[in-house]
Amino acid sequence: MKSSHGHVLVIGGGGTGAAIIHDLLLQGFSATLVERGELTSGTTGRHHGQLHSGARYAAGDREIARECIQEVEILRRIAPESLEMNYGLFLALTPEDLAFAPDFLDACREATIPVREIPLDQAFRMEPNVNRQARMAVLVPDGTIDAWRLPLQFFATARAGGAAIRTFTEVMEIESAAGSVTGVRVREQATGREYRIAADMVVSAAGAWAGTVAQRAGIHIPVTPAPGTMVAVKKRLNNMVISHLHPAGDGDIIVPQRGLSIVGSTQWLAEDPDSIEVPSAQIEYLVRRASEMIPAFRETPFHAAWAACRPLAGASSNVEDGRKLSRDFIAIDHGRSDNLKGFISVIGGKATVLRAMGEKTVDLVCEHFGVRRECTTAVTPLLPHRAYYNTVPAGRSA
Amino acid sequence: MSNFLADPREPREPAVATAVFRIARSRPGSPDPAWREYEVPLKGHTVVLDALEWIRSRVDNTLLYRHSCHHGSCGTCGMVINGEHALSCTTNVMDLLEKSREAGGPPTVVVEPLPTMNLIADLAVDPAPLFRDFPAGAGYLRESEFNRGSEVPREIERFVRFENCIECGLCVAACPVVRIRDFMAPAALAAYNREIGKNPDRAAELLGEVDSDRGVWGCDRHLECSRVCPTGVYPAKHIVELQRRIKKSREA
Repeated sequence: MKSSHGHVLVIGGGGTGAAIIHDLLLQGFSATLVERGELTSGTTGRHHGQLHSGARYAAGDREIARECIQEVEILRRIAPESLEMNYGLFLALTPEDLAFAPDFLDACREATIPVREIPLDQAFRMEPNVNRQARMAVLVPDGTIDAWRLPLQFFATARAGGAAIRTFTEVMEIESAAGSVTGVRVREQATGREYRIAADMVVSAAGAWAGTVAQRAGIHIPVTPAPGTMVAVKKRLNNMVISHLHPAGDGDIIVPQRGLSIVGSTQWLAEDPDSIEVPSAQIEYLVRRASEMIPAFRETPFHAAWAACRPLAGASSNVEDGRKLSRDFIAIDHGRSDNLKGFISVIGGKATVLRAMGEKTVDLVCEHFGVRRECTTAVTPLLPHRAYYNTVPAGRSA
Repeated sequence: MSNFLADPREPREPAVATAVFRIARSRPGSPDPAWREYEVPLKGHTVVLDALEWIRSRVDNTLLYRHSCHHGSCGTCGMVINGEHALSCTTNVMDLLEKSREAGGPPTVVVEPLPTMNLIADLAVDPAPLFRDFPAGAGYLRESEFNRGSEVPREIERFVRFENCIECGLCVAACPVVRIRDFMAPAALAAYNREIGKNPDRAAELLGEVDSDRGVWGCDRHLECSRVCPTGVYPAKHIVELQRRIKKSREA
């Protein structure tokens, strides 16, 4: 192993934490990741699995869309086995949709997303189950992510590189001396044993739980959990991601995966990310919306309904001071905003751009340590997901 | 923008029933579980995993279990539920109560961890034993058989999808052979057959790795693996196919 620039402790075993710890190891840091439960047991794993070409976001935000298409190309190279890369169709269903289509196409092209309108009869030959009343079809490079195995590939690679990954380990306190982070006190959930892990820097990637984690350093960050519901049916009705061509709304995406089709999503505001319940009315609503795109969705047996919490950062001085690493991904340097050096919180982002979130976060880590940055994650193929279990775990407590 | 954001109230619905969950609580070093009971309110769509989340967030935050996708795709949440090996995320609680009632049993849901894995605590296990004998270099994608014959965009060769096997370990935990002797177990053997099917070039190499008493000849044909598989892999069928491939290669 290369000599370490320092020991970084990452809190949160979701997609963001996975990409961060992988990048840290490649960059020559030693790193430990702690996660309260199983890996990806928060928001990441419950993702409906869309690999976003960016077309869904382009009209609203070219920058996010451009980042999506760049990351799609990168993930196809570094983690092809965790992607069903079957492309996607946007379908215009109403006159309003048709009126919106020129803006949609322009926005996608400005964001460098390779989109093309295809004849409707060709679209129906690709996806025989879609609504035959569709008025226009646009092909985009969407796909499906395995929301458990893609992050696991990052974790497997990090672990093989010497990262310590400790699941069922909760951070109880972020410790400091003279205004700088010194480490964390954690509880091993299985035994109740508490112990200290020394760290030169602590990165919180706890998503909807970022507020709870920051509290353990005595810092307030207003994070509101914003859950969304998804519904899966017991048959794969489409091979490509099917989206409603309109300004983004509820239930306008059907993501196929293995033998299932999944419709998402909705969004509401909750108090506690741990006690989210799926509202029955939203299940019926989503099935109805899905049936507008694929009429057979309604007749297909129900498989599962679940909800996942996006984190929404609210208004506060530290959030205002936070650096926008992209439009929807912010890093709060608590050294600047809360007088605690060596502690940063990263909030937001999207599953498709997890690698980029890792890169931007580790840019900040390198800045903190004064290390020359050479990010190589875009060109480093990841180990297969099963390597996570086949590799002798480094730093795992007995 | 979501229509539901306009409503500031978090959606909460009344329970339609309650169930008693009897859960095996274990800690490292004490193999005999202590049984704890919890009364959990139910909605029609409540699954066992929802109930565990309810217990952990409202009654007892020391309860440990694995979960990730909540829709039967990741394979992390396998458990033994009322004696059956099942995914907690797709096991509906009202259905369990109905079955219990038909059998004249109490409205109780008994939950235990998957055997044959390494117990962490409570219902959480480390699934490392499951992955021990998977074939090296086996991919996870296959050609999609859905809407067969449909046109494919010129940008790709074919429609693909992930393998059916979600590596949940239910087949391994339910296999009577795994409990009595060293056996590569159904999940790994099924993966061998899938890999040979996709890459016939590797057949000789891979068949050599399973042609043993701990490989395909260790199967006693209890068929529990195929019965419990939540995604229709039917591992027993793959084991028989591997046996047939080996016999055929010997004749050649």
